[in-house]
Formats: sequence, structure tokens, C-alpha cells
Amino acid sequence: MPEELKNSMAPAASRVMRSPRDLDLEITARCNLRCRYCYFFNNPAVEYRDLPAGEWLKFFDELGSLGVMKLTLAGGEPFIREDLRELIEGIVRNRMRFSFLSNGVLIDDEIAAFIADTGRCEYVQVSVDGSCAEVHDSCRGPGSFEGAVRGIRTLQRHRISATVRATIHRNNMHDLENIARFLLDELGLPRFGTNSAGYLGACCVNADDLLLNIAERQEAMATLLRLAEKYPNRISASAGPLSEGRAWRRMEEARAHDQPAFHNGGRLTACGCPSSKISVRADGTIVPCNMLNHIALGRINQDSLADVWHNSPALKQLRNRHAIPLAGFAFCADCPYMPYCTGSCPGLAYSIVGQVDHPSPDACLRRFLEEGGTIP
Amino acid sequence: MNNSDKPIANPIVVLREEFDDWAVLFNPDTADAVGTNPVGVAVWKRMDGRRSLGDIVSEIKASFTDTPDAAFEEIASFVNTLAEKGFVGLEADRKAANA
Ligand code: SF4
Ligand code: SF4
Repeated sequence: MPEELKNSMAPAASRVMRSPRDLDLEITARCNLRCRYCYFFNNPAVEYRDLPAGEWLKFFDELGSLGVMKLTLAGGEPFIREDLRELIEGIVRNRMRFSFLSNGVLIDDEIAAFIADTGRCEYVQVSVDGSCAEVHDSCRGPGSFEGAVRGIRTLQRHRISATVRATIHRNNMHDLENIARFLLDELGLPRFGTNSAGYLGACCVNADDLLLNIAERQEAMATLLRLAEKYPNRISASAGPLSEGRAWRRMEEARAHDQPAFHNGGRLTACGCPSSKISVRADGTIVPCNMLNHIALGRINQDSLADVWHNSPALKQLRNRHAIPLAGFAFCADCPYMPYCTGSCPGLAYSIVGQVDHPSPDACLRRFLEEGGTIP
Repeated sequence: MNNSDKPIANPIVVLREEFDDWAVLFNPDTADAVGTNPVGVAVWKRMDGRRSLGDIVSEIKASFTDTPDAAFEEIASFVNTLAEKGFVGLEADRKAANA
């Protein structure tokens, strides 16, 4: 879709669409790997079981009738499903497009050719966290680097748009320069995205080994900001050090020049997704987002999605989050960044402080500075 | 497109009536999308290959109270845009294709 059209089609934050435009579906709770920082596993609120294909196909018919445009298929590892072709056929039949979030290892020529033939795949995002097996496999397990690269090359051979997400943690933060060179120069990807391991799922158990401390975070931020200049428009981030570095620079500049409040500043506005998208867990539970997997809104094929979308009290509460002022939190008292702050991801806030309606301490600029960080 | 042409909506295109005043026409095969308003939606729903463009304009004028005089040109240009994107064909095209 052309970029201008995407922008003109962007929903106003306060308006709720008649039906979700996109859905994120965890089509399986199984995975061939056990990454040490995976947000998906080790979540006490989640029942790890798969639905039969028939349940998904019935749900896809409902989505087709609601005019849903796109599904992102994730897991677990979506390519582990033996009946994946059947699911893709159901999506195509219902006039939708699709994308995948994958570790890449199980992608072979056969499934890639099938996907390419549909003409409906937007992209397959493969996780690559290192420029070599030693770094990548340190968190994802032996053989996973080779498998991911093989998967990407297979997608490229079949002219399927392959994208990469690099998750930054303590074991790969000194490899960022090599990762950028490997992905952009050697594999020839047009761009890649970054985020960082967060205090979620399996990562909570390994947090001490993996999560960046203040000095490491600052270093990763500086490196990524430099690399983003070196490779213009080819490194993106919606979370993690690069995204924070960019946002915090803007906030600091606004504070230093006493600029007027940002239009979305001073309230919990960071997450606009519940107005245009929704998610489903592998067991069929409808949730607002994969990062808010504990908020059960209903079940597919038992509850009407349109009804959940319009009438779920929990979803309404989440949509009203943008009206909650940061000034009401003791955590934010007297913060000079308040007019420019959006409170960040509610999923992370919940995971850290046990409250969805709270700013995320992990993305708090004042806390970062108080703990000795500086903005590069 | 002429007044007597009979446009027909491409059945693969999805109409998403997103808000009361805003809808999206989306072709899942090409990922092309066009945003439109309730008049565009009413036009889209009437492009069945049986009504001519002139019929459609008359029906729209009858059902929307403040339709401007330039409605024909506006609707024709909207339908032309859709035709360029492959969202709409002409009944004649279908006949030719079936021949
Ligand atoms: S204390 Fe942190 S979360 Fe609160 S307004 Fe300041 S920067 Fe934002
Ligand atoms: S909860 Fe967090 S991850 Fe989920 S949509 Fe909102 S901002 Fe994004």
C-alpha cells in the first residue's frame, strides 16, 4: 500500500472502527526453539494449546464478512503447523492478506512456493539477533542462526518480502555494527527493525543475564542512532533503544526549549492499537494485544468478534486509557518531561508494576537519567 | 467513461465501511486501497453491471439530499479512478472476456 494512503487511512486515536482492520493471531502455541527471552512462553495467564484448523477456518469466514484486511500469523512458531496451507487457503478465500512472524528455521522451498503463489503475503519477518551463529545461538539455541539465514534466503529466492527483527540484549549489544552490515550489505535486505528484550514471559526468569543495564542501554542507543545515520531509512524501531533514543532526544529538546506540550503528551496515549486491531491467542481467546495476553475479552466462534469489538468493557477501558493524565501518578510527580511523555506500552507496564493503567517504568526517561543515563 | 457505460465492481475488492463517514475499498491481490465517503460507498454498491453510470448518478441524486450539480463529473471521475486501478470493469469488458 502506498505510504501516503497508509497515512491518510490512519485512524484518529479517539475513533473506533466498525471492525478491526488487522488481527494478530497466535496460530500455534508450539515452537521448535526455546529462546531465553521469548515473551510468549512462561506466561501463567496463558493456556498453551492449539486449535484445530476447522476452528480457525470458521473464524476466518467471520473475519472475511467483517472486511478485515490483514492477519499477522505468529505463535509460537507459525511454520510448525502441519496444516498451514489449509489455513492460508482460508485467509485467501476470505479476501485477506497475511504476514508471518517467524524464527525462519522451518521455512523450506515447498511452503515458500505455496505462499508466493497466493500473491497475498505482505512479508515474513524473521528474527535474527546476531551476525554469526555464536551470538545469535547464545539465546536461541544451536543451529538457529543457520536455519534463520537459510529461511531468509529461501524467501528471497521465491521473491517473498523478507524482513528481519533484531532483539537487542546483553549478548548481542556489541555485535550491532556487524548485524547491520550482515543484514543490509550481505543479505541485501532493504531494511530491518530492532527492539529489545523486555521483562515479559520467559525473559523474566533470565532478566539478570539478558536485560540491558543503564550503561549498556545508553551504549546500544548511541550505536543504533549512529548506524541509523549511516544507513538512512533502513533501520527502524517501534520499541527498544533506537526508538527510545529518538523519542528521548525529542523530549529533551522540547523540555530544554520550553516547547508547548506534544499533542499526545501528558496522558497514557502510547498505545493506539485497540482502536484498529485486536489479537487472538493460540487457544482461541480474544485479547487486546499479545503483550496483554492476560486480558481475556472472549472466545472465537463462541463470541461474535463485532460484539467483543464494540461492547467489551475491558477493551473500552483500554481505549479510554488515552484520557488518563500522567499528573495523577505519584510515579510522575514534578517530572519536567510530562508534557512530552506518552507513558509507553501498557503491556510492559503491566508486566513490571502489575497495572495496565500506569506508565511503563522501563521506558521512563526521568528514571533513566536519575539512574545515571544520558541521552546520546 | 460515458453516461451509458455499465460499470461492474471487481468482486475481489473488499468494501470496509470503517466509520460513518469513511470507507476503504481494498484489493487484497494488489494491496491497493482507496478511501471514500458515503456517496462513494453508495456508488460502489450500485456498480452491478446492470445500471449505467447515468442510472447510478440519478439514484444518488435521489437519495442524497444535497448532491451538487457537478455530481455526474465527480462520480465519473471516481469510477474512472477505480477503473484505472482495476477495481471496476465495464459490462462490455465482461462480455468481451466471456466471448
Ligand atoms: S516520570 Fe517518566 S513516565 Fe512519568 S512523565 Fe516523567 S518521563 Fe514520563
Ligand atoms: S500493549 Fe504495547 S505492544 Fe501491545 S499494541 Fe499496545 S503498545 Fe503495542
